[in-house]
Amino acid sequence: MSTSTPPVIVLGGGIAGLLAAHELGRNGVAAEVYEAGPRIAGMAASHTDADGFSYDVGAHFVTNRFMAALGMRANCRVLPRYGEVVHLSAKKHPVYPIGLLGVPRFVRSAVWEKVRRPKRDLSVAADRFRHDYGRKLADEVALPLLEAWSGLPADQLSASVIDKIPTGLAQTIWLRMAQRMTKRAVMIGYCKEEPSATGVFHVYPDGGIAAICQHVADGLAQPVQVGQPAEKIYTDGERVVGVRIAGRDIETNTVISTLPINRLTQLIEGSDRLDRFRRFQFRGLVLVNLKLTGRELLPDVIVWTPHGFPYFRVTEAPMAMPWIAPVDKTMILCEFGAQPGDEVWAMTDEEAVERCVSTLDPLIPDVRSRLLGASVLRQPLGYPVFALDYEPDRAALAAEGTGIAGLHSVGRNGEFDHILMEDTFWRLRRRIPAIARDHHRCSVVASSIEGVHNEHSTA
Amino acid sequence: MAADERESVTLENVACCICGGVDGTPVGVGEDFEYHTTSHSFLAVRCPRCELIYLDPRPTPASLPVIYPDEYHAFAFDEEQFGLVHKVRSRLEARRLLRAGRGLPADAHVLDVGCGDGFHLDLLRQHGPKGWQLHGVDTDARAVAAARGRGLDVEEQPVETSALAPGSIDFALCIQTIEHVGDPVAILRAIGKLLKPGGRLYLITDNTGSPDFKITKGRHWGGYHFPRHWNLFNKASMRKLAEAADLEVAKLSTTTSPVNWTYSVRNTLVDWNAPSWMVNRFSLKAAPALAAFTAFDTAFTVIGRGALLRVILRRPQ
Ligand SMILES: Cc1cc2nc3c(=O)[nH]c(=O)nc-3n(C[C@H](O)[C@H](O)[C@H](O)COP(=O)(O)OP(=O)(O)OC[C@H]3O[C@@H](n4cnc5c(N)ncnc54)[C@H](O)[C@@H]3O)c2cc1C
Ligand SMILES: [Zn+2]
Repeated sequence: MSTSTPPVIVLGGGIAGLLAAHELGRNGVAAEVYEAGPRIAGMAASHTDADGFSYDVGAHFVTNRFMAALGMRANCRVLPRYGEVVHLSAKKHPVYPIGLLGVPRFVRSAVWEKVRRPKRDLSVAADRFRHDYGRKLADEVALPLLEAWSGLPADQLSASVIDKIPTGLAQTIWLRMAQRMTKRAVMIGYCKEEPSATGVFHVYPDGGIAAICQHVADGLAQPVQVGQPAEKIYTDGERVVGVRIAGRDIETNTVISTLPINRLTQLIEGSDRLDRFRRFQFRGLVLVNLKLTGRELLPDVIVWTPHGFPYFRVTEAPMAMPWIAPVDKTMILCEFGAQPGDEVWAMTDEEAVERCVSTLDPLIPDVRSRLLGASVLRQPLGYPVFALDYEPDRAALAAEGTGIAGLHSVGRNGEFDHILMEDTFWRLRRRIPAIARDHHRCSVVASSIEGVHNEHSTA
Repeated sequence: MAADERESVTLENVACCICGGVDGTPVGVGEDFEYHTTSHSFLAVRCPRCELIYLDPRPTPASLPVIYPDEYHAFAFDEEQFGLVHKVRSRLEARRLLRAGRGLPADAHVLDVGCGDGFHLDLLRQHGPKGWQLHGVDTDARAVAAARGRGLDVEEQPVETSALAPGSIDFALCIQTIEHVGDPVAILRAIGKLLKPGGRLYLITDNTGSPDFKITKGRHWGGYHFPRHWNLFNKASMRKLAEAADLEVAKLSTTTSPVNWTYSVRNTLVDWNAPSWMVNRFSLKAAPALAAFTAFDTAFTVIGRGALLRVILRRPQ
């Protein structure tokens, strides 16, 4: 083997893999990115159809801060608005979250919950939500939504699903005021890693979210190698020693994986430390995008639908990003929680569209006559499910990593966390320097891939 | 400015100029509120070890002609345009400079690094001892031409390649320059070489330990001067900078300036679409605002939190 430091191997050409390679480069370490599929971007893909509608996977929002950090803010447009409401009844759509304070029964029950004897153990999501928000708000709004995108009852979910940095009430009001004054979609509690501020607002890159991945990929020293699935990760029991990519063994002492953590465990050779993550479940999403005539059909950009609808959220992205649909036309996205194999997942595209059109009435009464077309996307990696069942293992992954030196699992699916692209970026920026230093230190590979091979063939 | 020129601003990622780290965390994001030279936004980050605030990414050197347009104030702070404000400022600056230069020999060699149009050298020539030998360096051809037009001895050079003899300078000035350059450590090292052993460097730069930074750092702080201020210091990072450049800190204090306060307010108003009559109350030509903020900042200077850092560094004996 050559005397120069071998490159760090990055698995996956989605935003996390590309950003990891970008940060490694800044830390003076070469990286090779291998993507199994035919193209980069993963869940951050975009396309424009023949009728002039542009889509991402679901609706994606990014901030001016994130885009400035990548040097691509000049290629972005500012969102004139962004807002979320909760559908309580055909007439009632309180703004999330402050509008909910205008609903007397929610306030009463929240106050009652505070004066009642405090509950000691709040490790279960259902208890924690009822404690934090009051029983009424939890049971009518928060828990049904949580259950829809988790696919488990709230008493089987961990309280750690609750955001680490909730935006306080006073700050929310202040940010909404700034939104009004600046006519910009000021970010309110979107990113976990870095705080909200009046100067941090939503923007959208020309060419869609995929343009972000393309921009980062263009800046890498080495092109991403597509059509190159990782098949094995070799370890000596303690540390990574190599990988097999598309039938080819490569020596390395550092691997950054962006694969779903439960998939990553299946590639490990020479250690069973990751086996505990095999049980982790992702909740799938069926995303139905309806193309309609008209604009501003919903009460706000995002409508949460905790009751009475087969989907948990309805989004009209062109309200926030007017340029992604032709003039006087719009897109309504309905998101169903689903699991590969279940009844929702198995719907045909026609059935899925029909299920949306036949239920959207309370929000858009004349939806059927507006319908121009539709597309359906099934995303098996919608949300990591924070099941109580494996909560200790999830917490361990978050705190200690994979348990194998040199093997780093990053990104939304790799960390098994409800994070956005910008969170991934700041986390990588903080983590990569130590990974790069460790990689330098271990640049003399202790055990050869052959060694591990032999051990395994005799075992 | 033509649209194609605007787009010619290209950006590059950079490291902390003191420790070389690349893990700065975001502090502020904003645009060129003052000159609108580019449609990019810029991110100010903080080095978690040094407390340095720096732009990352920042414009490439090739973009400098675009982000310093002809009307840039450093080259146009002349008397006719700024009248009374100019007079007050001159008087104040001359006093400060001479105080910093007390105890120098009668034939001292003085070097102004980043001398611009020669404003400070000119003050020394007018108000300082007649025997002082005054030199300047600046990299901007327009600035150098202006300074030479005043009859000053100015090299068009970065200080690193100055033709001045090593160890020949008694007193160097670096006034509101360090924040504009890519590698402050290199500049300070170069100045250190030109100084005599024990020679002093008088340095002024924006203070990120000031209350106006604290209040407006998210976007509108005047001291960001997006995208022209690349490295910004507080007392802690200034000490680290001096250490990295092998200079001793002889004195580290703050001094009063109304400029950042004025621009912090102005940038907020511009950004929040305030009417122009209101915006115009806050500029370098608006004497009432400048006077009020001077008074205000004086109070903070008393408690060591003035708008500018005022530093005296010394080449070790
Ligand atoms: C509906 C929805 C809405 C969202 N909205 C937002 C939003 O508004 N803002 C936001 O910031 N984020 C949003 N997100 C999250 C964001 O999309 C993800 O965080 C991000 O795209 C994940 O990137 P990643 O690189 O971690 O994973 P992925 O994009 O999944 O990339 C992993 C890559 O690894 C490849 N791969 C898999 N197996 C192998 C193998 N064996 N070898 C090599 N390569 C392999 C895959 O093909 C894929 O390209 C949303 C997500 C969803 C689902
Ligand atoms: Zn540093």
